[in-house]
Amino acid sequence: MSAHAVSFANVEKTYRRPGLLGSAYTTAVKDLSFEIPAGEVTGLLGLNGAGKTTIMKLLTGLLFPTAGKVKVFGHAPSDAAAKARVGFLPELPYFPPHLRPGEALLYYGRLSGLSGPELDSAVRAAMDRTGLDRYADKRASEFSKGMLQRLGLAQALLHGPDLLVLDEPVSGLDPLAIRDIRGLLAGLNAEGRAIFLSSHSISEVEKLCSRVLIMVKGRLAATVKRSQWEAAPGGLESIFVEAVS
Amino acid sequence: MRQLRMFRAVAFSAFQDGVRQRLFLLFGVFAFTAIYSSVLAGVMAVDQEGRVLADFGLALMELTALVYALFAASSVLIREAETKTIYLVFSRPVPRWAYLGGKLGGTLMTAALMLLVMAAMHLTLLAVRGYGIPACYGWALAGSFLKLSVITSLAFFVSLFSTSAVSTLVISGILWTAGHFVSEVRFLAGQAHGAAALALKTGLWLLPNLQLFNARDAAGAACALGPAAFGAAAAWTLGAFLGALWLLSGKEF
Repeated sequence: MSAHAVSFANVEKTYRRPGLLGSAYTTAVKDLSFEIPAGEVTGLLGLNGAGKTTIMKLLTGLLFPTAGKVKVFGHAPSDAAAKARVGFLPELPYFPPHLRPGEALLYYGRLSGLSGPELDSAVRAAMDRTGLDRYADKRASEFSKGMLQRLGLAQALLHGPDLLVLDEPVSGLDPLAIRDIRGLLAGLNAEGRAIFLSSHSISEVEKLCSRVLIMVKGRLAATVKRSQWEAAPGGLESIFVEAVS
Repeated sequence: MRQLRMFRAVAFSAFQDGVRQRLFLLFGVFAFTAIYSSVLAGVMAVDQEGRVLADFGLALMELTALVYALFAASSVLIREAETKTIYLVFSRPVPRWAYLGGKLGGTLMTAALMLLVMAAMHLTLLAVRGYGIPACYGWALAGSFLKLSVITSLAFFVSLFSTSAVSTLVISGILWTAGHFVSEVRFLAGQAHGAAALALKTGLWLLPNLQLFNARDAAGAACALGPAAFGAAAAWTLGAFLGALWLLSGKEF
């Protein structure tokens, strides 16, 4: 197993927007190099437009880098070998409203290459793990935001990934739902899974992560370890404010 | 085998979505109304009533299924990108051919079901008017399906570079209409000179010849669609599919 779940080496991503009078270019991330160690919880902090979602999409193969190299467990993110080891939860995931959680999970399980009894047991395990088994008869249209987030996590867990990539996993959730999700993520990390999550909530990142990357205008401004923010007056928040101002 | 299972999962899901959509129901109501109105038109046709009932009904069925298939093909990729559903698909080891093929397959299965349901309505109305199954009816349905297959795959191709679902609908609609005038274009290309001839000859290469699939144009013993029709449909569908796949493989989300 590669010691790093993810490595970015001098990565740049520039978006091109075609227009009538030529294309407009926007650089979302530039000269970005970092690693995510296997088995660790790494957080990604930054203001809006700092490039957090771009990083998440680059490492799940939804975007291709303009320059530099992204590796996931030693493979290109678009390789099936990399994707088989990654579970992704986008921000505010959508599920067809008529689907029950089990039906949605069966579909995504099939797309993860599972079938037969293996698929059935993976769906049961993911529902049990995320507490969805109690809501098995409800449709997605009846779900609260917290329940949809659980379903999003369940689909990311189906194939037993070694790395979970979570874009704003607690965005818009109430305090109880946040506590549940936090407990769930801590449990997953205790099993040895690496977690890479982006958030606007510094306190959540502080509670969950052992290391935090701070992005400012597409560049990595700081990498902060837990011991550093625990020793700093004002904690992670003061380090973040200093980095972005 | 694993990739084929993924293809099947996408196709079945697209089929289920298609059947569940209110759009499908709406077109069902429209189809019934349109086919029923063909009965009224048939009454006015006096001694050609049977022929008018059959042809008018078949044409309306084809148009209804066409509109449904084009709406579905032009919006499915845009909708999945907007709702981020596509993130949950392409962050998995799903090959893009399996996704695109599954969506095309699911849309065509829905359109085929729609044709069959409308055919059942049409034949029931004909029976009420005292007519049996018209000549070449099965071949006409097969021809309609082949046309849908060609034009739907072209719509998927167009949807991957057009800026909106509306422009996909318009371009695909133009291709469908022009595809019924290929022999006329060929005649004009033979008569024209210079740039006009070149433009018309280029157009002939770009237009699918949908007249090949009009089984009832050759009513009588010759109405069966030949291998050339099936071969042309397969070639156009595959060509458009490969073009769409090429565009999709470079697409970011």
